[in-house]
Amino acid sequence: MNYSFDFQSVTRNFGPLLDGLVVTLQLTAAANLIGLTLGFVVALMVMSRWGVVRWPATMFVEFFRCTPALVQIVWFFYCVPMLFNVFLGSVTMGIVALGLNLTAFNAEAYRASIQAVPREQLDAGIALGLNPLQRILYIVLPNAFRASVPVLLTNGIGIFQQSALVAIVAVQDLMYQGKTLATQTYRPIETFTIVALIYFAVSFPVGQLVGYLERRRATLAE
Amino acid sequence: MAPLDFSVLLRFQDALLTGLLTTLELTLICIVLGCAIGFFVGLARTSDNRILRGVSGFYVEFFRGTPVLIQLFWIFFCLPLLLGTELSNFTSAVIALTLYMGAITSETFRASLRSIGREQYDACVALGLPRWTQTTSVVLPQAVLRAIPTLLSNCISLFKESALVSAVGMTDLMFIGSNISNNTARPVEVLTAVALIYFVIAFPLTRAVTFIEQRILTKLAV
Repeated sequence: MNYSFDFQSVTRNFGPLLDGLVVTLQLTAAANLIGLTLGFVVALMVMSRWGVVRWPATMFVEFFRCTPALVQIVWFFYCVPMLFNVFLGSVTMGIVALGLNLTAFNAEAYRASIQAVPREQLDAGIALGLNPLQRILYIVLPNAFRASVPVLLTNGIGIFQQSALVAIVAVQDLMYQGKTLATQTYRPIETFTIVALIYFAVSFPVGQLVGYLERRRATLAE
Repeated sequence: MAPLDFSVLLRFQDALLTGLLTTLELTLICIVLGCAIGFFVGLARTSDNRILRGVSGFYVEFFRGTPVLIQLFWIFFCLPLLLGTELSNFTSAVIALTLYMGAITSETFRASLRSIGREQYDACVALGLPRWTQTTSVVLPQAVLRAIPTLLSNCISLFKESALVSAVGMTDLMFIGSNISNNTARPVEVLTAVALIYFVIAFPLTRAVTFIEQRILTKLAV
């Protein structure tokens, strides 16, 4: 191998990469906001007694879980403007697509932990005369949220990685800026390595945190 | 907007089918190679050798901590430069997705290896079983059986992630779908059909995961 590395051509152009990282983080934060809130609502809908509520929610979850995120993103960018005549900014569109994807995955995480809330606690809620909304807010939600934190974090960091896909539809995120820089400088190795390291530097600590939380839960449960 | 006309798909069914076959071929090759790598990396991560543990840990964390898209780009653009040879896009797609699959399945194998209770190892010692019998008759069957549902989920993830190879110009289902959609200017019909094709394959597999978890594994009491 006789390739002379030149990392300076990348470090000199760090500005665009940082701009890209900011966009990526914005996408991630906004998508997580949607996923964390809407995901809980969808989880409750999936578990609803009434078919009218349950079926659409289940179809939504299954559809987003069983198709590639790339297809979802491309679909949103091309089809939503045509079908509904709405024209949103590309970042907004990316947020909506990623947010709905995350909603489906988080709904599953919430559902699993809601079902794990012990029956007796709900009975106790009824015995105390709490109405259904109060039971959800004060018994189900805190329990389910705490139990699902590791999975929610894993999903959240998953969407941080999936957000790189919006580069394909020309949203100027970290991946897109990296691609541009690699072409401009003719330095794909250095550029893509640094971009990968930036992604890694954000994901890795969160992954470690998830591991820590899971271990702590396991020891607390014993 | 123009009325939807799904008959446009009939003209392109052969092309879509070819794309689907490429997607499936790629997925299957990477499943086989990835699971093999994953099993050995899973063993390496639980080994007593610190170097083996360190190297395998780094590999897994890095591939799980960066977007698949950048892994693919790195291998597609950078590996040929480093090696000084040409790589076809099929080869680079296989390398990238295999390494990704290896990383995620190794975690599955590791978790299932760890799920075998301490008391079983103690029982083996008490029964005076040799180390080899312990591994082949006690540890391995349970580890593999327990890993099956998660491995199947990994396969579904890989099938979905394989849509990314369209970004490096491999003519898979996604690539052919977006080409047709651009040429016919009918993104709604074509992209929806592509999404449905992915769904029709992935959805039954997710049901199979639940079925295996609930029925087969409880019946075998592992």
